[in-house]
Amino acid sequence: MKTMNALAASTSIVAMLSATTTFAQSMDELIAGARAEGMLTTIALPHDWCGYGAVIDGFKAMYPFLEVNELNPDAGSADELEAVRANRDNTGPQAPDVLDVGLAFGPAAQAEGLIAPYMVSTWDTIPESARDAEGHWYGDYYGVMSFIVNTDLVENVPTSFADLLKPEYVGQVALAGDPRASNQAILAVLAAGMSRGAEPGAAAAQAGLEFFAELNAAGNFVPVIGRAGTVAQGTTPILIQWDYNALATRDTLAGNPPVEVVVPTDAVLAGVYVQAISAYAPHPNAARLWMEYLYSDEGQLGWLAGYCHPIRFNDLVARGVVPQELMDALPPAEGYAAAVFPTIDQVNANREAVVAGWDSVVGANVE
Amino acid sequence: MTRLWSYGALAIGILYFLLPLYGMSEFSLRMIRGEYSLQAYYVVLGDARFQATFGYSVLMALVTIVFGVLLVVPTAFWVRLKLPGLRPYIEFITLLPLVIPSIVIVFGYIRLYNTSSWLPLTGTAMGTNVLLMFGYATLALPYMYRAVDTGLRTIDVATLTEAAQSLGAGWSAILARIILPNVLGAVLSGAFLTFAIVIGEFTMAALLDRPAFGPYMQLLGANRAYEPAALAVIAFAITWACMGLIQLVTRFSKHNRVAR
Amino acid sequence: MVNSSPARRRLPLTWLGVVPFFVFVGLFLLLPTLYIVVGAFRTPGGDFTFDNIIALNTPSILSAYWVSIKISFWSALLGCLIGFAMAAAITVGKGPRWMRDPLLTFSGVASNFAGVPLAFAFIATIGPAGIITLYLRTEFGINLRLMGFNLLSTLGLVITYLFFQIPLMILIITPALDGLKREWREAAAILGATNAQYWRKVAFPILFPSILGTMALLFANAFGAVATAIALTGPSLNIAPILLYAQIRGDVLGSPNLGYALAFGMIVITGIANTAYIVLRARSERWLK
Repeated sequence: MKTMNALAASTSIVAMLSATTTFAQSMDELIAGARAEGMLTTIALPHDWCGYGAVIDGFKAMYPFLEVNELNPDAGSADELEAVRANRDNTGPQAPDVLDVGLAFGPAAQAEGLIAPYMVSTWDTIPESARDAEGHWYGDYYGVMSFIVNTDLVENVPTSFADLLKPEYVGQVALAGDPRASNQAILAVLAAGMSRGAEPGAAAAQAGLEFFAELNAAGNFVPVIGRAGTVAQGTTPILIQWDYNALATRDTLAGNPPVEVVVPTDAVLAGVYVQAISAYAPHPNAARLWMEYLYSDEGQLGWLAGYCHPIRFNDLVARGVVPQELMDALPPAEGYAAAVFPTIDQVNANREAVVAGWDSVVGANVE
Repeated sequence: MTRLWSYGALAIGILYFLLPLYGMSEFSLRMIRGEYSLQAYYVVLGDARFQATFGYSVLMALVTIVFGVLLVVPTAFWVRLKLPGLRPYIEFITLLPLVIPSIVIVFGYIRLYNTSSWLPLTGTAMGTNVLLMFGYATLALPYMYRAVDTGLRTIDVATLTEAAQSLGAGWSAILARIILPNVLGAVLSGAFLTFAIVIGEFTMAALLDRPAFGPYMQLLGANRAYEPAALAVIAFAITWACMGLIQLVTRFSKHNRVAR
Repeated sequence: MVNSSPARRRLPLTWLGVVPFFVFVGLFLLLPTLYIVVGAFRTPGGDFTFDNIIALNTPSILSAYWVSIKISFWSALLGCLIGFAMAAAITVGKGPRWMRDPLLTFSGVASNFAGVPLAFAFIATIGPAGIITLYLRTEFGINLRLMGFNLLSTLGLVITYLFFQIPLMILIITPALDGLKREWREAAAILGATNAQYWRKVAFPILFPSILGTMALLFANAFGAVATAIALTGPSLNIAPILLYAQIRGDVLGSPNLGYALAFGMIVITGIANTAYIVLRARSERWLK
C-alpha cells in the first residue's frame, strides 16, 4: 500500500514537473535567458493602439538590457501570421517573437503550428472563454466597434450602420484595415451584418458583405485603409474602428479637427484580441518576459490607459487597483452591457467568409 | 513660338508647381486651430523617432557616399586609363538601376541574402544595414558614375598619371592626391544627389524593416494630419539645399579650371 | 606611353582594377535581378516552367498591370507635352530669358521630390480637406467631391506624378532644344518658310526622336514608382508595384514564385521602355550633337 501511494505521489509530481514547462518559469531564469538574447522583436503594434507606446516604454524601463525591435506597425493579423511563416528559417531581426492578433486568428495559427504555448503567472485570472486550454493563445484586451467622425467635414453625424448608406455620406466611409487581412476590418463587416439582424457567424458575414457591396455601389465607401491621418486630412472622414482606437485618435487630434466617437445603435460588437508567442521566435525568453509584463497589473493598466478593457479587467476592479481617473476616461459601461461577444466558432466562420467573399461580393478597388 | 504660347505655358507650369508647395506649407502651419503657428514643426522636430530615423538616414547617406566614391572613382579612372574598350559595357551596367525598379532589386536581396543563404546578411541588424547601404549605392550608381565620368573627361588623366608616376607616386597616391582633388566638383555633385536620394528613399528601407526616414514619413502620414505636411516641407527644403549645393560646387569648380 | 611592358603579361593586373566594381555590381545588381528572372520560370520544387507567367493571366493581376500602364502612359504623355512647352518657352520661344536658370534649378529639385512628401503636398492641396478644395467650395461653391473628383484615383495619381515628370522632361529636352541651330531657322526663313512651317518641317522632325525617347523614359520612371502611390492611397491601390510590395511583405497571391513572375513582368515593361529611349536617343544625336 505504501509503495503504491509513494508511486502515485511520485507520478503526480513527475506529471506536475513536466507540466511546468508551460507554466511560468521562475522570473530569474527568464530574465537571465532574455539578457543573453538581448532583443525582442514585435510586430503590428502601433503606438496609438491601446496605448502600446507607453506599454513598450514601460517594458523597456523595466528591462533596459532588452532592445525592442518593432516591425511593421501597419500589419494586420493575417500579415503577422505571414511574417511568422516567411521567417521560419530566419533568425534575424525580421522574424517576430510575439503576436497580437484577432481572436479568430489564434486557433488558425495554432492549427498551422505557428505558435508555441506558454502560461503566464497570472493565468488563472484570464477568463476561460478567452484562452486556449493548453496555453497557445490568450486574450489580452477588448473593445466595441464604433465610428469616428470628422465633424469639420460631416454635418450630420451618423448614429447607426443604416445611416451610413445615406447619400449625404458619399465618398466618406472607410474601414480601418484591409478586410482580407485585418481583424478590425473583418469584424467591422460582422458588425454591419449584425446591424441587419443576422446571427453572428457566417450569416452575419454574408449580410455584412452585402451591406458593404451596397455601400460601395452607392459610392459612399472609400476603398482606402483609414487611419488617424486620413480622418483628419479628410480622405476618410467617417471611419469604422474600435472605440479604443477612435478615442486615442480623438486625443491625438486634440480638437483639430474636432471628431466625435459614436457607438452604432443597431449593432454593438465586442472584439477580443489574443497574444501568442511565435513557434520560431528567435528570442523565446524575451518573448515570455514580455508576456509576463503584459499580464502583470502594470501592463494591464497600461492598456486601460489606452482606452482598452484589459482581459483581467474584472479581476483588477475586484482587487481595487484601478485608478479612478482611468475608470472615468473609459467609455460608459452601459454601452458595454449591450455588447455582443461572439464565440470563437462564430468569429472563425465570419473570418473565413469575409476573407473569401470580399473581392467577389464587394470588389471595391481604387479606380 | 508666339509670345502668348510661351508665357501661357510657363504660367500654367509655374502655377502647377507652386500650388502644391503653397498647399503643403499652409497646411503645415495650421496645427493650432484658427491661427498660424509653427506647432507642427515643433512637434515633428522634437519627436524622438524623427531624430532617430533622420539620424539613421543621414548616417546611411554618408556611408553610402563614401562607399560610392571609393568604388566609382578608382573604377572610372582605371577604365579611362587602361581599359577604354570597357567603357560602353560599364556605362550600360550603370544605367541598369534606372531600368530595374528598386522594388525588384530589394526583392532579390531578400530572397538571395537571407539567413539560409551563403551570405546571410539579413541575419543581423548590422548585416541588414550593410545590405541596405549596398542597395542605396546601387540606386545612386548611375548618377555617381555619370558625374565622375564627366569630371574625368575634362582633365587629362593619362598625362597627369604619367607625370605622377615619373615622380615616383604609387596608385593610391595618384588617386588620392592627384585625381580626386581634380574631380572634387563632380564627386561632390554625385554626393549631394546621393544624399537626396537616400534621405527620401522608402521602398528598400521599408521592405528590409530598417528604421529609416522614408518609412517614418509614411508612418506619420498615416497617423497624423499636420505633421506630415511639416515633414514634406522639411524634405523639400533638404532636397533644395542639396541641389543648390551641387550648383554652387559646379560653378566653383568651373571657375577654378578657367583660372588655371 | 603609360606602360611599356608586353601587353600579355600586364593584362591580368589591368583587369584587377575593375574587379571591385564588377564584384559589387554582380552581387548587388545583376545577381538579384537574375535570381528574380530565373525564379519567374521555376516551380517551388525547382523545375523549369511557364506556369508562373501563365498564372499572371488573372483579372486582378492584369488589371494591376493595366492600371500601372495607364497611369505611366498618361503622366508620361502630359509630362512630355507640358514639359516640352515650358522648355521651348525658355529656349527657342519668347519666354523671359532670366527665367531659364531658375527653372532648370527648380526642375532639378522637383524631379527628385518624389515619394512620400510629394503625396502629402498634394493631399494638403487638392485632397478632400485640401487648401484648393476648400477654397473652391467656400469662394465659388464648387464641390469637387460631388463632381466626382477624387485625389485617390488614377487621375489623382497622374496629376501627382506630373510633379516629377514635367521637370524631368524639361531637364532632358532643354539640351536638345539648345541643339537646334539658329542657322537652320535662318535658312528656313530665307527660303520663305513661315514659323509654323519651320516647326512642322524642320524642328519637329529633328526633335521627334528626342521627344519620343524622353517620353519612354518618363514612362519607365512612373511605372516603377511605388512610394508616392503607397503614401497617397495606402497599400490597397491595385497597381503592379504595390501588388509586388504586398507580395514581398506577405504572400498575398498564394504562390511565392508568382511574385517573381510579377517582378519579371515589370522588368520587361520598363526594359522595353528604356530600350526605346536608348535607341531614339542615339538616332536624335545624329543631328543634335
